Amino acid sequence: MAENLWVLREQKKLSVATLAGRAGLPIGLIMEYESGQRGVDVRHISRLARALYVEESEIKLRSDPRPGAGTLERQPHREAVRPPVEPTPTETARPPRDRALRPPRPVSTPRPPLPARPSQITHVQDLLGRLGRPQVEVEAELGKPLAELDRVAASHLLVKLQAEIKEGKFPERHRAYLPEAVDQYESRYLTAAQQAGDVLHFTLFDNTAVIGAVIGFGQYNITVRLADGSETALNKLAIVSYTKPAAGKEPTV
Amino acid sequence: MSLGDTLRLLRAKRGGITPLEIETATTLPKGLYRQMEQRYRAVGDDASLRVLADFYAVPFEDLWWRLDWPRKALSRALVVCMRDKSPITLYLWNGQTVTGLVQWWDLGAVQLESADGELVVVQRHAAERWEPRAPEDAVA
Repeated sequence: MAENLWVLREQKKLSVATLAGRAGLPIGLIMEYESGQRGVDVRHISRLARALYVEESEIKLRSDPRPGAGTLERQPHREAVRPPVEPTPTETARPPRDRALRPPRPVSTPRPPLPARPSQITHVQDLLGRLGRPQVEVEAELGKPLAELDRVAASHLLVKLQAEIKEGKFPERHRAYLPEAVDQYESRYLTAAQQAGDVLHFTLFDNTAVIGAVIGFGQYNITVRLADGSETALNKLAIVSYTKPAAGKEPTV
Repeated sequence: MSLGDTLRLLRAKRGGITPLEIETATTLPKGLYRQMEQRYRAVGDDASLRVLADFYAVPFEDLWWRLDWPRKALSRALVVCMRDKSPITLYLWNGQTVTGLVQWWDLGAVQLESADGELVVVQRHAAERWEPRAPEDAVA
């Protein structure tokens, strides 16, 4: 015997929404079927039967309205059918919210850029010095003094200058005047003498002379091979000077 | 020879005594001796020089005058002579005198080319004095 759609749904403990979802039909249509406002479309009967796990013949084609229930109307929002909630005292005391009464939001204006940090300016000047570029030239390119750069512009300029330094776009490094440790002329001189097998004439602090070929040297001494084949290490502190005798005056070692 | 090089030589003659041992054996403040020996500018005063003269048993005057000939001053003179292509005369501590154009110089030595074309490498510490001297503001 055929049964009302809403009876079958409640027997299966399904909500209208669940049934609609299972059957793939609109909720409003299900409600119209249940209220009897509309007879079940024959194209939908099989879907509803599968969704309810019943035979198609068990579904009444036009349901009787639920007893005590008025005509159901389509309800656009679930919240609309919720029972009214008793307001709390706090909410009662709160004045009604009215958008019209709200103060207008202040229009956000863009913040002025912050001035460059002193450290950024110092860094820029340092990099310009390393690149050998006059500050006036860069200020002419920028169209303003470095001191008037904002923080972002200074940052961009720093990135650009650092890239130039990385690419090696700076003139040949000026030879450091002091300290003197940057050059190794004596080391190169002795290396060349050692590789060429040159015989050098050393004068020591007591005016004694040592003649020999350089076979090694370090920071504090020079090792030479003497004419008799022996080797001796001369402490640089004991050496006054040394020279390579002119051609034709070289002693045999 | 600068005061620092002289102290280094005197210490070497003592056979490996360390700066710390010298400071411990004398009344010198901690770190002063090392600075006097290693700094390129003149470090030390009359009092500290007297202490060291006593320690090494050398005349005070032999240390004192060297304060006016620090390593920095030699560097300055070498820079100026090399820049101006003018000869420099070095008075060496073995009594020799060498005059020539500066070919190169570095931390330890300087090469001079004499008027007859001879190239000689002089150890910087062997230069007691030199001529001409360069004023402190001669090199930027």
